[in-house]
Amino acid sequence: MSQTATLPPEAPAPVQPPARGFGAWMRMLGVVVRLELAQRVRSVAWYVLLVVVGLVVGGVIVVLFLSLADYQRDLGGAIFSTTIFLVMLVTSLVTPALSGNAINGDRDGGTLAATQVTQVTAGQLVLGKVLGAWIASLGFLLVCAPFMLGSALLGGLRIEAVAVAIPVVVVEIGVVSAIGVGLSGLIRRPVLSTVVTYLVVAFFSVGTLIGFGVATIAFQSEETYNEVEWDWDETTDATTCRVTDRTFETTVPRPDRVWPLLAANPYVILADAVPPHFDASGYPDDLLGQIASGVRYAQLEPVQEECPEILPSGAWQGETAEEVYERTVPSWFVGLAIHLALAALAVWGAIGAVRAPARTLAPGSRIA
Amino acid sequence: MSAPASPGAPEPLPASPVFVDPVAIDPARPHDGVDLAADGIVVDGLRRSFGGVHAVRAMTFHAKPGRVTGLIGPNGAGKTTLMLMLASLLAPDAGAIRVAGADPVRDPRAVRRAMGWMPDVLGTWRTLSPRQILVTVGRLHGLPERVARDRADELIVQARLEELANRPSRVLSRGQQQRLGLARALVHRPRVLLLDEPAAGLDPTSRLELRELLRGFATAGGTVLISSHDLSELDEIAQDAVFVDRGEVVGGERLVLARQAAREWRVRALDPRALSYQLASIGVAFDRVRLEGDVALIALDREEHAADLLQRLVAAGVPIVHFAPAVGDIERTYLGLAGGRR
Repeated sequence: MSQTATLPPEAPAPVQPPARGFGAWMRMLGVVVRLELAQRVRSVAWYVLLVVVGLVVGGVIVVLFLSLADYQRDLGGAIFSTTIFLVMLVTSLVTPALSGNAINGDRDGGTLAATQVTQVTAGQLVLGKVLGAWIASLGFLLVCAPFMLGSALLGGLRIEAVAVAIPVVVVEIGVVSAIGVGLSGLIRRPVLSTVVTYLVVAFFSVGTLIGFGVATIAFQSEETYNEVEWDWDETTDATTCRVTDRTFETTVPRPDRVWPLLAANPYVILADAVPPHFDASGYPDDLLGQIASGVRYAQLEPVQEECPEILPSGAWQGETAEEVYERTVPSWFVGLAIHLALAALAVWGAIGAVRAPARTLAPGSRIA
Repeated sequence: MSAPASPGAPEPLPASPVFVDPVAIDPARPHDGVDLAADGIVVDGLRRSFGGVHAVRAMTFHAKPGRVTGLIGPNGAGKTTLMLMLASLLAPDAGAIRVAGADPVRDPRAVRRAMGWMPDVLGTWRTLSPRQILVTVGRLHGLPERVARDRADELIVQARLEELANRPSRVLSRGQQQRLGLARALVHRPRVLLLDEPAAGLDPTSRLELRELLRGFATAGGTVLISSHDLSELDEIAQDAVFVDRGEVVGGERLVLARQAAREWRVRALDPRALSYQLASIGVAFDRVRLEGDVALIALDREEHAADLLQRLVAAGVPIVHFAPAVGDIERTYLGLAGGRR
C-alpha cells in the first residue's frame, strides 16, 4: 500500500449519494442475495444434500411406481402428488437449517457489521437473506422436477393440480425461509434460533394434527339418538331396517368443532388448495384429494344413524366424498394467510433488530 | 494546556509536538467545549451503558482532519464501544457525534458514505475470495458494478494480495486478513478512517506501508482515528493522542501530571566505566541510575535535566554514542497514567 495509491479525500468522491428509486433498491437487494448465496449456500454440503435428496425421492417414486403399476392406470396424478408431498417434507426439514442462522450467524462471524456500515438498509439485508434461503431451498424442488415430468408422461396428470400445487409449495418454502431468517434476527444464539424454527415447522406440520386429535376428544358432546333395529326375515332372507322410538345417550367426538386447527397444516393447505378429481364412484383418485376429503369430512356434524337406502343393485346409497366436498368449505387460504402473516411478522421483527445504530442489544450479543 | 495553573499544581512541561490536548485546542475555549460543526470526528459528552456497566461515561474530543489521532487506553476503557458508536452501529445514550459533519444517529447513511471502518476482530466471508469481498463491499456501498471491479483490482494490488485474490479468504494469514480488512475499509474512498488495532499481525514491511498509507491519507486531508496498544507504533504514526480511561477522556491536570512523571533516558558510551564514573561524580542520585550491561538507564524528571546531563557528560569527555528517551511520548504518558491509578 504505497502512498501514491492513497486517495486524496478532496478528489471528487466516486461514491455518490445512493441512487434512489425502485431499480436501485432492487439492485442493492440483488447484491445481498448474491452475497448470501455465495457465502452460505453454495457450499459442498448443499450440493451433497441435493444429490442425496434426489436419490431418496427418486427411490421412493420408483418403488411406488412399480407397486402401483399392476392395478392402476394413469398413475400420473398419484406419482405427482406423492412427489410434491415429499418435496414439501424435505424442504421443511432443510430450510430451517439454511435460514435459521442467517443473521445471528453473521453476527457471531462479525460479517453482519461489515454489511451494516454500508449503504444497504436493514430491510434489504433481511429480505436478501430470506430470498437467499428461499432460492437455496427451491433447489430441492428443482431436483425433484424430473420425477414430476416423469409423472406427466404416465398420463392422468391434471394441469390444474400442477398449476396450483407448485406455487403453494414455493410459497410455503418461502414462509419457512422468512420465519427462519426472522427468528435468527430475534434470537441471539444460532443453534437456538434454528431449533425454534424447526419447532415452528413441527408445530404446523405435526402439532396441528395432534392438537386436532386431542381437541376432537376434548370437545366431544353427549347426543341422544334413536335406536336402529335390523330385522331378518328367515323366509325371504331379507333384512329390513327401522328406526325405533327408543333412545340412547352416547358420547361422540366432535371434529366439526375443531377442524380449523387443520387449516394451518401446510400439507392440508396444499391438499385443500388443489382442486380434487373424483373417480366414477365419487372417490378422490390421488393423495391430495384424499387428504382434502378427509379434512372436509371432519367438518361434518355427527348425524343420527339412519337406515341406509339400498339401491336395487344392492349397494348402499350414502353420501360420496364428492358430495361431501361440494357442501363443505375450503380452508387453505385461511391457513396460507396465517402462515404469511407469521412470516411477515418475523421479517418485520428481524428488520428492527438489524437496524443500526442499535439502541438496545440482547445481553451478551456482539455487534462487530 | 488550558488547565488553570492552580497554586501548587506542577508547572506544565513545554509540550512536544505529539501532545496537543485533544479537547483544549484553543486556550480561549472552555475546557469541555467542542465545535460540532467542525470537520473530522467530533465527540461531545458521549455516554453509553450496557445494563449496569457504564462503558462510556463522558467522552469529549475532536480528531481533526489532516491528522492521525491515536486512541489510547487500557482494556475496558471504552475504546471499542466508542468506535462502534462512531461507526454508526451503536446509538449513544447521551451526547453528540459528528463524523465528517454527519450525525450517525440521525443520518447513518451519510456517515457510512464518508467513513471507513476496520474493526479489531475482523469478520470475513470465509468462502469468498478477496476479490469477491471487495467487489461486494463496493457494490454494497452503492458503486456501479464496473467501478466496483476496477476499485477491487486497484486495492488488491495495494494490499499485495494478487496471488491470493481468487482463493477463498479463509486461507489468508492474520496479516493478510488485516491488509484485506484495511482494503475493505478503503473501498468507497472514505474521508474518515476508524482503525482498531490495524497493525496487529502485520509484518514489518506491512507496518511501514500502513504507516505511509495513513500519513498520506492524513496529508491529503483525511481524518484518522487509530486505536492501538502498540504505543511505540502510535508514537511513530500519530500526531495527536486521546487518552481514555474507565469510560472517560483523560485530560487537563491528570494528563499534565502523567507527562511529568519521571522518564527513563537510555545512555550508552564507548567507555561504560567512564560513563558510570562520571554519572556519580556529576552527582546523579544512584537510585536514579540503572545499569543494564553497557547501557545506563537514568530516570529524569524533565527534558531540561536531560539536556543539562548530556552537556555535562560531553564536557567531562565521556564518549556518548546514544542518548535518548527509553520510551516514546505516548508510552510515557500512558505509563504515567497507569502509575497514577495504582
